[in-house]
Amino acid sequence: MRVSYEWLKEYIDPGKSAEEVADLLTLSGVEVEAVETFGSSLPSVVVGEVKGLESHPGRSNLTLVDTDIGEETLKIVCGAKNMQVGDKVPTARPGAELPGGRIIEATDIHGVTSPGMICSAQELGLELGSEEEILILDRASKIGDPVDELLGFGDKILVLELTPDRPDCLSMIGVAHEIAALTGKEVKMPRLTPSEKGPSLEESLKVAIVDSELCPRYTVRAVDEITIGRSPLWMQLRLLKAGIRPINNVVDITNYVMWEFGQPLHAFDLDLLKSGEILVRRAQEGEKIVTLDGVERKLTPEALVITDGTRPVALAGVMGGEDTEINDSTKMVLIEAAAFNPTSIRRTARRYNLPSEASQRFEKGVNPEAVTWAQDRAALLMHELTGGTVLRGLIDQNEAPVHETEIRVNPEKINRVLGLELDKDMVVDLLSKLGIAVNNNQEGTLDITVPLRRGDVAIEEDIIEEVARLYGYDKIPVTLPRGELLGNVKSYDERVQDLTRDVLTACGYHECITYSFINPSTLVRLRFPDDDPRMKPIPVQNPFSEEQAVMRTTLLPGLLKTVQHNYSHRELNQMLFEMGAVFEAQSLPLEGLPEERMKLGIAVTGQIPEPNWVDPSRETDFFAIKGALEALFKRLQVEEVSFIPEAMPFSHPARCALIKIKGREVGYLGQVHPDVAEAWEIDQPVTVSEIDLALLCEKANLVPRVAPLPRYPAAKRDLAIVVPKEIPADKLEKAIREAGGDLVSQVKLFDLYEGKQIPEGKRSLAYSITFRRDERTLTEAEINRAQEEIQNALFELGAVLRS
Amino acid sequence: MLEKLKELEDEARGKIEEANDLEELKTVKVRFLGKKGELTKLLRSLGSVPSEERPVIGKKANALREELERAIERREQVLQDSQRRERWEKERVDVTLPGRPVTVGQRHPLTMIIDEIKEIFTGLGFQLAYGPDIETDYYNFEALNIPADHPARDMQDSFYITDQYLLRTHTSPVQIRSMERQAPKLPVRIICLGKVYRRDDDATHSPMFHQCEGLVVDTDITFADLKGTLDLFAREMFGPEQRVRFRPSFFPFTEPSAEVDISCIMCGGKGCRTCSYTGWLEILGSGMVHPRVLEVSGYNPREVTGFAFGMGVERIAMLKYGIGDLRLFFSNDLRFLKQFS
Repeated sequence: MRVSYEWLKEYIDPGKSAEEVADLLTLSGVEVEAVETFGSSLPSVVVGEVKGLESHPGRSNLTLVDTDIGEETLKIVCGAKNMQVGDKVPTARPGAELPGGRIIEATDIHGVTSPGMICSAQELGLELGSEEEILILDRASKIGDPVDELLGFGDKILVLELTPDRPDCLSMIGVAHEIAALTGKEVKMPRLTPSEKGPSLEESLKVAIVDSELCPRYTVRAVDEITIGRSPLWMQLRLLKAGIRPINNVVDITNYVMWEFGQPLHAFDLDLLKSGEILVRRAQEGEKIVTLDGVERKLTPEALVITDGTRPVALAGVMGGEDTEINDSTKMVLIEAAAFNPTSIRRTARRYNLPSEASQRFEKGVNPEAVTWAQDRAALLMHELTGGTVLRGLIDQNEAPVHETEIRVNPEKINRVLGLELDKDMVVDLLSKLGIAVNNNQEGTLDITVPLRRGDVAIEEDIIEEVARLYGYDKIPVTLPRGELLGNVKSYDERVQDLTRDVLTACGYHECITYSFINPSTLVRLRFPDDDPRMKPIPVQNPFSEEQAVMRTTLLPGLLKTVQHNYSHRELNQMLFEMGAVFEAQSLPLEGLPEERMKLGIAVTGQIPEPNWVDPSRETDFFAIKGALEALFKRLQVEEVSFIPEAMPFSHPARCALIKIKGREVGYLGQVHPDVAEAWEIDQPVTVSEIDLALLCEKANLVPRVAPLPRYPAAKRDLAIVVPKEIPADKLEKAIREAGGDLVSQVKLFDLYEGKQIPEGKRSLAYSITFRRDERTLTEAEINRAQEEIQNALFELGAVLRS
Repeated sequence: MLEKLKELEDEARGKIEEANDLEELKTVKVRFLGKKGELTKLLRSLGSVPSEERPVIGKKANALREELERAIERREQVLQDSQRRERWEKERVDVTLPGRPVTVGQRHPLTMIIDEIKEIFTGLGFQLAYGPDIETDYYNFEALNIPADHPARDMQDSFYITDQYLLRTHTSPVQIRSMERQAPKLPVRIICLGKVYRRDDDATHSPMFHQCEGLVVDTDITFADLKGTLDLFAREMFGPEQRVRFRPSFFPFTEPSAEVDISCIMCGGKGCRTCSYTGWLEILGSGMVHPRVLEVSGYNPREVTGFAFGMGVERIAMLKYGIGDLRLFFSNDLRFLKQFS
């Protein structure tokens, strides 16, 4: 809502500057988003009077205009034709600066020097008239006066950002009432009594409402013998400030009055409404109307229409029909002011995508009193500004008269909710400023009558808010809630997630957050078979684009997109993780809330560490992530983790593993298949892992258990063996531990070698084995025996000692 | 004889001082003090000296030996020191070279803010609460006093899954879920951080973003408590000098409602581009829990009161870290993320 300060002063004199009023409004809940200045200053543009018109000697399409600007009379060359002798026109003298930085100078135009320019409205920065049309000023304007002052340039416009509960402030009167409450000043209503003449309207027009639920009230007035033309400049300027484009006097008046009272009006050409009847009803299935914008619209019974008894002439509250539109030859106008069901208007405006100032007001609720105010005001203005005659009588079909809301309020409750100690008189005083009538009753509570314009005030809490905001939110004290202490501030899962972040960031990984929705085609790119549950993502009904069309069933698409983004920005070395939910529907379409499972996703690509002058960089691979996972499992004290070779649909066939904890599958780890990586335009190996955090939580133990430090020395023995390649390392380690029994406290693989000196199909592994006993120092013989056992066990697996 | 001794002394001292390394010094030592050294030889020739002079010369010669030995030792020390100094000099490093690479990771900036918010509120005795991202229309709207066709639904265009289910447009449904779970037990004091979704996408709106929701319900919760709690939060989050302003506003699920502004952290309230020259930045919405919301959640609005608040995590992060474009958070550009580690 745009509120011209100059216009507002018609209804209230706040006795303050526009900026001060803006601050007051903002702090009391009617937010002023901006205070704009209307127009710009126009130095050296003054009022001139046209004294004579003659043709340009060289060019017949140009006119020489004798323009009296007081000090002198200028002979100005002008291309426009719309002025007459006696007109007052904006005259730019040499040196004048027009909006957009245009500087006016005396210029030779086809042999005649023009000492200035007569301006169109657009040249002065007003969205009025056409470019070929001089702005004709009020005849009463004084010659030589500055035009910017005359046009009200410099007026302030308060731009209100209204919350949906305050439609009352979608009107100048509503805003005036709000300011009255804040300043104690009085609201002045505009003149509302039109002089009526001639026959009663009821004799010639019948009005009936069929569906009173959608239209509880319908009123009309008629004005005859009008002359369509421009509305006076002051009205056009006010409409411009409100953000409304002036059209003609009749339409401008309906808009002007809507701005005054918030009540939308519609004007029909009564001569085109041939039947002498208005019938308000639901549209019939398939019925059509051509609306004012020239579009033919097919209607359904959901829409309410105004008909002439047979055909629809307006889409009620949303847009009028073309057939009965006000036009240049309109003589008789029918003014409609009605109350419509907000929901119905909202649906209709949505369905036909026709949001308007009118529908916006109907949707949010209009002050019921404003119906007759608006009717009378519009009739009065039409009489005064179009020369029309107001026919006798207002037809008012009111099927559901509205009454003021009564609320009982306990002043103690006000204090209890706000944390204040206001006495009753203070409360009464604050509320009366809003025009709320308050009566003390015998029970010590207050009986409150809310003015009709404040439809949003309906319950005791609404009154509490009114008291609070008028008292001032800033004056309410600052305390902290008291009460019982509560324990268990962080859930177990939350702590596991925190620890996981700690471990991974310590391992050098950066956390990502990607969208929960993905492009379904990415799942196909990941080659999941049709029967994979990840191929049944939950679709979003109204996504922005295919990119966000379904809820993710895996973190992979988001992570790969991130890797792709960074790779394309030459960040080649990446270590990323994300923790977030994936969505699994039990059935589609959704019949219950889906399962949202927290997952941990990891992706690495490029080299670690970043190439540098001192340490060698290595290509990241399967084992980079495996190391981080091992660190994580260790911190969470997750035991019995196994990595079982198994390819995923999207993985390198020989570089992927299922991860199991105590035999239960919790995720996977593997290199992305080069073809899949290529689909994401990543031209280097990428390795990923995804782990179910809920399952990890189940197996985790967050409290470290500390063993005493060993009291007796350990003995270390190195053992290098050559084994067939297909024997997995964990099998060898297991054999070492089993054969060594509890003498073996640690087994470390410190070297792995394939190639020269090792037979084809075999590899060499070197272990460092630590032997220790808790209760005494081991003897050399014991260690030798254990080592022998270990060797024998390894030999059984096909190992030989490496010489 | 005495003269010879003197000559020898002079020469030996000269040679000791001239020795440039330990090897040379050793040669000097052998030459003068060795078994066949010059001083030894001189002592051996003592027999040719008259017997009455012998003790004097003998004493002198022995004293000279000791002196020379000490001189050699001193020289040895000097030479050794200089040798080690040389060695150390060779071990000199260029301290201006970069350090060995340490691969450092970091939490996402939004996680950093979320952690901070959690810490502030858990410190005030709030419990963490959760709710699903995919919500029912009931929890997201109905229970929060936003019936179908309510104008407030305009404020949040939603992503729907079906007519029944949608991606939650705010974390407020967690208010209802938490109260339902607990009713009629008091107090309720929860904080919820999570993802929310709205059909918006530009430099200041993202279709997915994060919100923080707080709720306190008890027998005597006041608007003053709401002010105190959020005032404290703003100071903890943005610094003790922060001023906080409460403006009346509207939310369907609170009454009275308040919008909370903090003094602009860029200009300190003087007015700048960030705060549109108002000196204030809007950071959150709040209010006293609407009686209907208490009622549907199992509490009697005549017996209990409560306050609730909600804020955008991205907004807080943008203000705190000086981030201009919301989309940076979800592009996960390492050039952006690495600035936090």
